[in-house]
Amino acid sequence: MAYADTPENAISVIKQRTALMNRCLSQHKLMESLQHTSIMLTELRNPNLSPKKYYELYVVVFDSLTNLSTYLIENHPQNHHLADLYELVQYTGNVVPRLYLMITVGTSYLAFNDAPKMEILKDMIEMCRGVQNPTRGLFLRYYLSQRTKELLPEDDSLFNSQFIMNNFIEMNKLWVRLQHQGPLRERESRTRERKELQILVGSQLVRLSQIIDDNFQMYRQDILPTILEQVIQCRDLVSQEYLLDVICQVFTDEFHLKTLDTLLQTTLHLNPDVSINKIVLTLVDRLNDYITRQQEEEPNATAANAYLDMDVFGTFWDYLTLLNHERPDLSLQQFIPLIESIIVLSLKWYPENFENLNKLFELVLQKTKDYGQKNISLESEHLFLNLLSFQNNKLQMSSSSTASSNQSIISKKHFIFQLISKCQAYKSILALQNITLQKKVVNKILDILMDADTEELTDNEPESKLHASSRDKFHLVIENKLQVQRLLSICEPLIISRSGPPTNATSSETNIDEVFFNRHDEEESWTLDPIQEKLAHLIHWIMNTTSRKQTEESRIQFSLESQLEILLLIKSSFIKGGINVKYTFPAIITNFWKLIRKCHMILQYLLKKRADNKTLSSHYSNLLKQMFKFVSRCINDIFNSCNNSCTDLILKLNLQCATLADQLQLGEISYDFFSQAFTIFEESLSDSKTQLQALIYIAQSLQKTRSLYKETYYDSLIVRCTLHGSKLLKKQDQCRAVYLCSHLWWATEISNIGEEEGITDNFFRDGKRVLECLQRSLRVADSIMDNEQSCELMIEILNRCLYYFIHGDEAETHISMKYINGLIELIKTNLKSLKLEDNSTSMMTNSMNDLHITGDSNIKSNVNPEDGSGIADKDTNVAVGSDGTYIQLNTLNGSSTIIHGIVATASGSKLLHQLKYIPIHHFQRTCEYIEGQREVDDRFKVIYV
Amino acid sequence: MSIFFKSPIDIEILFDNEESRKHVDIASRSSSSSYKSMKESLPVYEDGESLGGIVTLRVRDGKKVDHLGIKVSVIGSIDMIKSHGSGNSSSKKSTSSTSSSTSNNGSSDIRKNSVDQFLCQSYDLCPAGELQHSQSFPFLFRDLSKRYESYKGKNVDVAYFVKVTVMRKSTDISKIKKLWVYLYNSIATAPNALSTNGPQANFNSASADGEDGASNKNDATPKKDGPVEAADDNQVLPAPHSTNEPKPVKLDIGIENCLHIEFEYAKSQYSLKEVIVGRIYFLLTRLRIKHMELSLITRESSGLQTSNVLTDSTAIRYEIMDGSPVKGETIPIRLFLSGYDLTPNVSCNYFNVKNYLSLVIIDEDGRRYFKQSEITLYRTR
Repeated sequence: MAYADTPENAISVIKQRTALMNRCLSQHKLMESLQHTSIMLTELRNPNLSPKKYYELYVVVFDSLTNLSTYLIENHPQNHHLADLYELVQYTGNVVPRLYLMITVGTSYLAFNDAPKMEILKDMIEMCRGVQNPTRGLFLRYYLSQRTKELLPEDDSLFNSQFIMNNFIEMNKLWVRLQHQGPLRERESRTRERKELQILVGSQLVRLSQIIDDNFQMYRQDILPTILEQVIQCRDLVSQEYLLDVICQVFTDEFHLKTLDTLLQTTLHLNPDVSINKIVLTLVDRLNDYITRQQEEEPNATAANAYLDMDVFGTFWDYLTLLNHERPDLSLQQFIPLIESIIVLSLKWYPENFENLNKLFELVLQKTKDYGQKNISLESEHLFLNLLSFQNNKLQMSSSSTASSNQSIISKKHFIFQLISKCQAYKSILALQNITLQKKVVNKILDILMDADTEELTDNEPESKLHASSRDKFHLVIENKLQVQRLLSICEPLIISRSGPPTNATSSETNIDEVFFNRHDEEESWTLDPIQEKLAHLIHWIMNTTSRKQTEESRIQFSLESQLEILLLIKSSFIKGGINVKYTFPAIITNFWKLIRKCHMILQYLLKKRADNKTLSSHYSNLLKQMFKFVSRCINDIFNSCNNSCTDLILKLNLQCATLADQLQLGEISYDFFSQAFTIFEESLSDSKTQLQALIYIAQSLQKTRSLYKETYYDSLIVRCTLHGSKLLKKQDQCRAVYLCSHLWWATEISNIGEEEGITDNFFRDGKRVLECLQRSLRVADSIMDNEQSCELMIEILNRCLYYFIHGDEAETHISMKYINGLIELIKTNLKSLKLEDNSTSMMTNSMNDLHITGDSNIKSNVNPEDGSGIADKDTNVAVGSDGTYIQLNTLNGSSTIIHGIVATASGSKLLHQLKYIPIHHFQRTCEYIEGQREVDDRFKVIYV
Repeated sequence: MSIFFKSPIDIEILFDNEESRKHVDIASRSSSSSYKSMKESLPVYEDGESLGGIVTLRVRDGKKVDHLGIKVSVIGSIDMIKSHGSGNSSSKKSTSSTSSSTSNNGSSDIRKNSVDQFLCQSYDLCPAGELQHSQSFPFLFRDLSKRYESYKGKNVDVAYFVKVTVMRKSTDISKIKKLWVYLYNSIATAPNALSTNGPQANFNSASADGEDGASNKNDATPKKDGPVEAADDNQVLPAPHSTNEPKPVKLDIGIENCLHIEFEYAKSQYSLKEVIVGRIYFLLTRLRIKHMELSLITRESSGLQTSNVLTDSTAIRYEIMDGSPVKGETIPIRLFLSGYDLTPNVSCNYFNVKNYLSLVIIDEDGRRYFKQSEITLYRTR
């Protein structure tokens, strides 16, 4: 009996024989049809078929045999007896066709109730041993399993399960054996073939699970041990991986739960190459799904959570310890995913229990240390990244599916925070990683914390305060200093190391210092740094969350100190950042300011309500001063660590502090900060432009102070300020600084603190000094060589004069009408000479400038008398800023101002030419203003334009 | 054939109830190849059964035929190929039946000569006289004992027939009619050989097709001693063999470092309707086995011990395993015998028939490894 040479021929032979068989059956020639069947089945003996091809043949044969089986059943008692046939077919000479026929006849016989079912089944499965060839044996046994599917005795599940298990065991043996056949070099293809066949073996376990139904007793006592024993015994990689996976998949979750330790124990005895983590992950997935389902079915019932009493984590933990002990060879690559999956489990089952996580992380830590931290290879790096940043974990902490994404993010945030604050080992592991990785991880953590926060903010906006309080439970609450400490220590890699794009900083640790210093030299200037910005954000976030708690519990007076402590904690941790403090400390200082204000409020409250409680109020006033000292310290820190790169910032911070102190009536402190500002100005500011700016800023701050009057602090400060102004390098700067300083002797109302012009009478005003200042600046303006500049400055001074003229009596301000008229005359003369000069030049370039000069009427309509200065053109305006810079205004685009370079050299001669018109137009507008004022104020009528 | 136009008398022998009797198909060994598949159907008798019937003599064309008497005889004989060396030793026996065997016309195989006529009973149906018309004579051999079972082998036949002879002055006219004899045993009979070749524990290995014959040449067939008369009875067996309860056959064999198996048949004696059940344990397999077969070999040994001839024929070839098993596997054996045409063990002075179960392992390179173990087959009712 030979078989066809190609699979195609084989199929055609099978089909042909099937047709013959069917014909014979229709003529009731059973013997002949059996012969045809036997010939057909011979094709299944072909040893040269790949599993795929064999399967194709098998399918065709199966259908054909189904026909035969149907016939046998229909004609059973009348035309033949199946018991006889069962014997008859055993005369078939070849074992494979014989067994197929036997099974076909035997299972047909099983369909009848009078058949000795068990005997037949036993016999069939016993005889199947005759086929020891893996592929053919597998298919034969699969055929047996398929045929007997519906026909097993109904009442005897033990027998059935034994039957199927027996079949399964034999199939598994065959399957494993397939690996070891043939030459060694074909091993790969063997493995591939085996994978193709695996479903045949797996189907047996599926059958088993159907048979068992919910008979746990049987499962635990008979089935599982046998199967697992089999799995262990076969010592085969493919088989163990696949079968355990199938076991995890096909049996119910409850079973797994109850036999968890057995299952886990099994994995200890597997082939060392088996990836245990996959199996455990599958198991964990199953268990997690189970919990989810339980919760969905009965969200509130505790009865449903009966299994929760079981210490699932404990089981896993014991297992892990054992595994670690028995398999020290497990690499991190295998170990970490394992831990990860158990973390997932723990999160699902015990969302509140961070002890577990800590334990797990400790284990990883220990493991990592065992390997030596230097040996963390690149491959394992991404594992750590995953582990530490929980990328693989679908962190759906709020397990109900109804939870919105927002909530889940919040809970994720919660989780991360809890993790950081409760799991020490987490931090230690993080610390073992290289810097780049640490940064990545911390970055991710911060992203999570912040991301949710911003969302929260947007959420809160439309909501009323009442709602906000109800949402408080979703807010993260920092409970104590320790948490902050841990959070900060987590962030340490970001704080300490020099920031920058992570890709650049991949160099090893030894290089980092070099990089650091190089950068230090290169980057004196400020660059936008997302990481540092994030850290600054973090500071605000921490402070916000801490203050949120206080509003909730309304214990302001107690928490102020703790907030202070936290802030100090932050400060002390961020000071490690070296040069980076310039990014982060402003945030800290700002928070100090907030605290200071809060403290002040408390103080006020105490004074108002409980005036008697001296000790408490003195405590707070001390605290207040203390905090200012801290701020001062912070500023010094910035100064010390950043040298000259951010003096401007320091100056401004000082001034702001001074202003704040002044507002809180702390003149002394305010003076201190002002003097600090001056020190900075004197010692560190060298650029003339910044100097002017700084002076203007100082003057602005000083002008609004109210608490410095005692002990002539104010006087000395403003004198110093003016003096600095008059010593500026450029004359126009001097001029401007001095006339601006004139305001320092002319305090104006600040309506916020209840001052009102005309009612409040104790303004600090000294008209004489004002006049002095103006005169001095006029002198300087007069002495400037550049006529245009000179004119412009004079006009600006005129404007100042007009201001004082309006705001004070002549007697007070000492700025008389006469003085103004004289100034106007002076300007006019200067302008004339300017025009003269202009005419001579315009003679030469008249054609070019026609357009601009004739625009006078247009310009007038455009002039805005309130505006200090400006020149109008048809499409461009050039103006002079308060510090003397030229600003080009684009009128076509509405009000948007484009700062177009400092001097118009770049813009070409056309623009340069226009500069001449600046003072002229400015003067024109001033004159118009004066004329306009005449209608309101009679005094203006005596000013001649 | 020539007798038809010469013989003046037509003899017809009809057994009692012949039509309803059980028949057995025997392949007739016709010399012409085209009729090879021709079978003759013979009525079956058993030991001790009376053989009766009617002989009808028809005279041709109403002529009278004178005869010296009509005789009916029943003969059982062992026939062997004449060229056979052993034939000479018993030549005197064969000569006694020479006349009958040479004259019989219906015999299909003329090459075999009778070496022993172990049964010969005859009596006269009628005295000498004249046959004028057709006449019928009933005959009966009461309780006829038949010592051997009918057998048709390569070199030896055991044949039974009834012969009617019309004796005349000239050549006698005779007619024979064959019958087939089955001997039924209730218990195992005559396993005169050792059930297994115990000491020879090694597998016989032979390349390709060297299985047949080659191996057991040296195996001396167990001696059958005693006078001719001793063969009349079934040989007396040692006590343990004749007990009813069958002993399983167990063998542990192998090739060093290559194969080690243990096989077991449920018993060593089987009735022809029985099933051979057994199993094979693989204790060690380094061979890459392609498949394993079980075959039943019938060995006919003819002649006397000095120069006997062995002829093996494979009666059953049955694949019992496909593929290569691993250590620890057990392969079941189940072979139904009733569907095959088998010969039970026969033993007598001139020949014996033995049956062997041969386990053959064929490896992927086509080499065959086999182990034969003798079993006894017997016929039961």
